[in-house]
Amino acid sequence: MAVALGPSGSFGRVRLPKMALAIALTLLAAVGCKHGDGSLPLQVEISHGVGEQPLGLGKEYTLAGGERVSVSKLRYYLSNFRLRRRDGSWSAAARSDQDARGYFLVDESQPASRSFDVAGFKAGDYEGIEFLIGVDAQRNAAGVQSGALDPAHGMFWTWNTGYIFFKLEGRSPDSAEDGQAVIYHVGGSRQPADNSRRIYLPLAPRPLKLQPGLKTTVHLQADLARIFQGPPALRIAEHASVMDVAGGKLVADNLAGVFRIDHVHHEPLH
Amino acid sequence: MRRLIGKSRWWWSITATALLIAAGWTSPPLAAWLQQQRTPALTVPAGWPAPVYDARDNPISRAGFALGRRLFYDPQLSKDGTIACASCHQQFAAFAHFDHRLSHGLHGANGTRNAPGLFNLAWQPDFMWDGAVTHLELQPLAPLGNPVEMGETLDGVLPKLRADAEYRALFERAFGGAAPGEALIDSQRMLRALSQFMATMISSDSRYDRQQAGSERYTDSEARGLTAFREHCAGCHREPLFTDHAYRSNGIDGGGDIGRALITGQARDRGVFRVPSLRNVALTPPYMHDGRFDSLQQVLQHYRSGITPAALAAEPELKKAASLSDADAVDLQAFLETLTDESFIHDPRFAEAAAR
Repeated sequence: MAVALGPSGSFGRVRLPKMALAIALTLLAAVGCKHGDGSLPLQVEISHGVGEQPLGLGKEYTLAGGERVSVSKLRYYLSNFRLRRRDGSWSAAARSDQDARGYFLVDESQPASRSFDVAGFKAGDYEGIEFLIGVDAQRNAAGVQSGALDPAHGMFWTWNTGYIFFKLEGRSPDSAEDGQAVIYHVGGSRQPADNSRRIYLPLAPRPLKLQPGLKTTVHLQADLARIFQGPPALRIAEHASVMDVAGGKLVADNLAGVFRIDHVHHEPLH
Repeated sequence: MRRLIGKSRWWWSITATALLIAAGWTSPPLAAWLQQQRTPALTVPAGWPAPVYDARDNPISRAGFALGRRLFYDPQLSKDGTIACASCHQQFAAFAHFDHRLSHGLHGANGTRNAPGLFNLAWQPDFMWDGAVTHLELQPLAPLGNPVEMGETLDGVLPKLRADAEYRALFERAFGGAAPGEALIDSQRMLRALSQFMATMISSDSRYDRQQAGSERYTDSEARGLTAFREHCAGCHREPLFTDHAYRSNGIDGGGDIGRALITGQARDRGVFRVPSLRNVALTPPYMHDGRFDSLQQVLQHYRSGITPAALAAEPELKKAASLSDADAVDLQAFLETLTDESFIHDPRFAEAAAR
């Protein structure tokens, strides 16, 4: 008889608290499937910029270190959203093992992808938001997925199985690569090098409020110049092409500083 | 009168069926025939561990398996329609590429590694010579996307399948109609169908298995070979799957291929490759990650006298292999040939459907 087991080796790699979290999230997601369970969505909107300027695909920007860069492609995954209450407890977004709920693929060339509803939160006041840039190790080692996690989106490595968490491609006169290319593909969940990055952004001084009858939107500003600024600084002259796991750590570490909260909207629903 | 004939025909068919079933229990050819009418299942042979592949999200069905087989044999999966999975994985060679050190893909381009046999994949925790792929369902993406193999993308292959009325019917039969907002044919369904075919390719009916079950007896040489195997080789090629699923140096000079280090980034993994299963080993020449050895004799000769001194110092299991005597080597080869599973390589369920 076939014996049902977890995804390959996952029990070895996943520590117990993570397992507990996964189980809790699964239960939460199961609850979230029902209508009228009182769970609420949070709308997330993202604007990309380079320094003080808004991002335009193909437009050239001068970075703080004097290097110049233009971006032709910008795509990345955000997932594992959760909100922190003042007492330190959390409300986590809905997630399901069956589909890609709770995983979002942001693509600069698809404006609609920069605004999405993260479902499954409890009503309340929150003082901080946390999310993952990338895909968690557990889902990254699971079988073939659908929706935002469909490998057909071109955000998947086949030479070293797993999602590309963050992809930035463009050009720079400072690049030594063919065609002055700049290519950053960040991925990899295998220990000891997990290149996903967990970001916590405080919402102080005013809390974010989720309640029935109120539409709440958090607007994130992502400054791509931070990828190059660091610290440590990432110089295009030295690192124009990063597509391996070890090199991806440089970019991933700097990604952690890219996002900030621009503002939060609370709008009554009619 | 008419009613009488009708009734007697009915009785006749019942009796005939009962006789067929009864004969099936006793007649080996008929039992085999009946067995082959069943869809292969992911069952665990006696004494084997539980499989790693979790089929709960992808329950194996007759229609899903048939679709997977169709995809496996379909050259449309390659960019120019010339290369199928089966081009480099041939059933008569236990789904390795017979007599090819390296395989040629699109436009005759050569790969860099030897195509392995395909069987017992549901027990394999990761895939490829360097363990690049960590899940059975995602494995086909590696050859599909490799420019020197099938050179195709999911965005390229899915429209071809969607345009084919026969595939639309096969996908619907296997997975039901499209859910609202989703496609009837998508990457998840395509890869799950392929996985149903791959996960059920179980090879567990070799002479070794029958000897273990007590239904066949080894010759003296084969029996001595098994003893020698357990003493000198089983540290890595562990029964019953004949691999420990680890990555090790086997003492060959790796050439330009850094092996497992490409995936782990660790210097100690340079020139380290997956320990392959030895089941069906006599059917899958040439050997090693780059197919450098043409025969089992050459492989045994390597372990006996060709291991690099550095590897010998670093890997204790290699010392055991290096101490094989001339007589051991002869018996060992006789034993290795008992790992050939004739019923697996002749099972029509794994053959191209049109050939049935």
